[in-house]
Amino acid sequence: MTQLQVLPGLQEMVDSLVKIVTSRTFLEIVIFPGLLNVLLSVAFLTWLERKIIARVQLRIGPLYAGIWGVLQPIADFVKLLFKEMISPELADVKLLMLCALGLMMLAAAPIVTIPFGEAFVIANMDIGLIFVFAVMSLFPSVLLLIGWGSNSKYSFLGGLRSLFQQVAYEIPMWLSVLGIVMLTGTLNLAEIVRAQQKVWFVIPQVLGFAVFFTAALAELERTPFDLPEAETELVMGWMTELSGAAFMVGFMAMYTKFYVMSALITTLFLGGWLGPAIIPEPIWVVLKTFLVAVVIVTIRGTFPRVRVDILLRTGWMRLLLLALVNIVVTVILIWLGLGWVWRV
Amino acid sequence: MPDMIFLALSAVVVASAVFALEAKELIYGTIGLGVSLVGVAGLFMLLGAEYLAMFQVAVYVGAVVVLILFTIMLVRRESGRIVDEEEPASFGSVGIYVAALVALAVAGAVILLAPVSPVAPEFYQVQLQDLGRSLAASYGVALVILGLVIGAAVVGGLTLVKIDREEKPSGTTE
Repeated sequence: MTQLQVLPGLQEMVDSLVKIVTSRTFLEIVIFPGLLNVLLSVAFLTWLERKIIARVQLRIGPLYAGIWGVLQPIADFVKLLFKEMISPELADVKLLMLCALGLMMLAAAPIVTIPFGEAFVIANMDIGLIFVFAVMSLFPSVLLLIGWGSNSKYSFLGGLRSLFQQVAYEIPMWLSVLGIVMLTGTLNLAEIVRAQQKVWFVIPQVLGFAVFFTAALAELERTPFDLPEAETELVMGWMTELSGAAFMVGFMAMYTKFYVMSALITTLFLGGWLGPAIIPEPIWVVLKTFLVAVVIVTIRGTFPRVRVDILLRTGWMRLLLLALVNIVVTVILIWLGLGWVWRV
Repeated sequence: MPDMIFLALSAVVVASAVFALEAKELIYGTIGLGVSLVGVAGLFMLLGAEYLAMFQVAVYVGAVVVLILFTIMLVRRESGRIVDEEEPASFGSVGIYVAALVALAVAGAVILLAPVSPVAPEFYQVQLQDLGRSLAASYGVALVILGLVIGAAVVGGLTLVKIDREEKPSGTTE
């Protein structure tokens, strides 16, 4: 105590530090819509995926760690942390570590704009949608760098495939959202959720939803678009030469992107936090997000992989066209005078 | 606080720009360029131009840097080793003179044109809606012409690719 009186500056610093740590924004970033939420959901998703795939394909899935093997992700986490990092002799290990970390940061960043309730949004940005778009557009370059830095043909091919795929599907993906932006007149994700009070956007924007969902699968490199990590051809794609902790971070980044993308679909098309008030708003968002995730995992358990040329043709010719048709449909909706339904 | 952020961002922008020029390997130079461009986006953000900042990231880092990376990777592959083939530039002194001239010109312009008693410019934020409205209304014609030009460029590019493919029958190899 006496020391604190000698240094009044220290007392102030401690006070301001406590103020920052207990402030709402900090707690939001670290605990609820932020970091802890993302990490727990990612762990849960990896378990959920294995369980659902196991059900779909009549296998059993993780069983022994905890009830129904729920603790399996934690066991995996510990295992991967202590694993040795092995990389090819000429690989650029520093670059690989840097890129794996960068990937995780890019994957988690969009969560700050996604509203988990009227009062649960970390950064209520007017340009939230463009922020998500900008951050997502950085993904392919990092994947390509990982593929190149591994100095392995499998990794490099995987990285190139990621690049083609993600660049090709980014365009229909964001064009398909244009309809929503036209109806609501805003890019703020919380406003977009509020605009769905009467009718969720899945109904008027059913084409946009189909395009966005398909493109999201491709962006996530999930089956049927998992060419960048086609096990039978490319071992693990761009992840081949990542091992130990670097592999864990890269793996988590992909699941984080999975979670964030599911939350984004929920926000844009499935009414975000809206729902009967029996369940609190944030829980609605999480529930719907996991529902979307379950659908995506089931698709993985059911469908085979597509060929590269079919993938690119679908992206550039079919989805792009459908997204443009969706815009025309939206214009017709507004022209018919139905736009007021989604005006805030 | 904003001053500290400004200083930190500026330091990152300048340092990574220097790194982009000085890095021995092109890939590292490209990464430096990317970091520098993200830093510039941060500066835009500080000035209240969030929209511009986001598009700076999406277009310059998300598209241009990818293009550069892609080109480098397709053009030179020396299995991860640093390729050190360039001779040290013999025109270095010319560069220094040109840089000095440009610096002098800029400094002169700033000194000559700066108002005697500098007044801080009025800080204003462009609303996104206003921006969209003026783009669609006042600058509508320019926007359409730009779109047509870019569309023509894309069609031209595709035609070039197509011609290339038709000239080489599928049986022959190069």
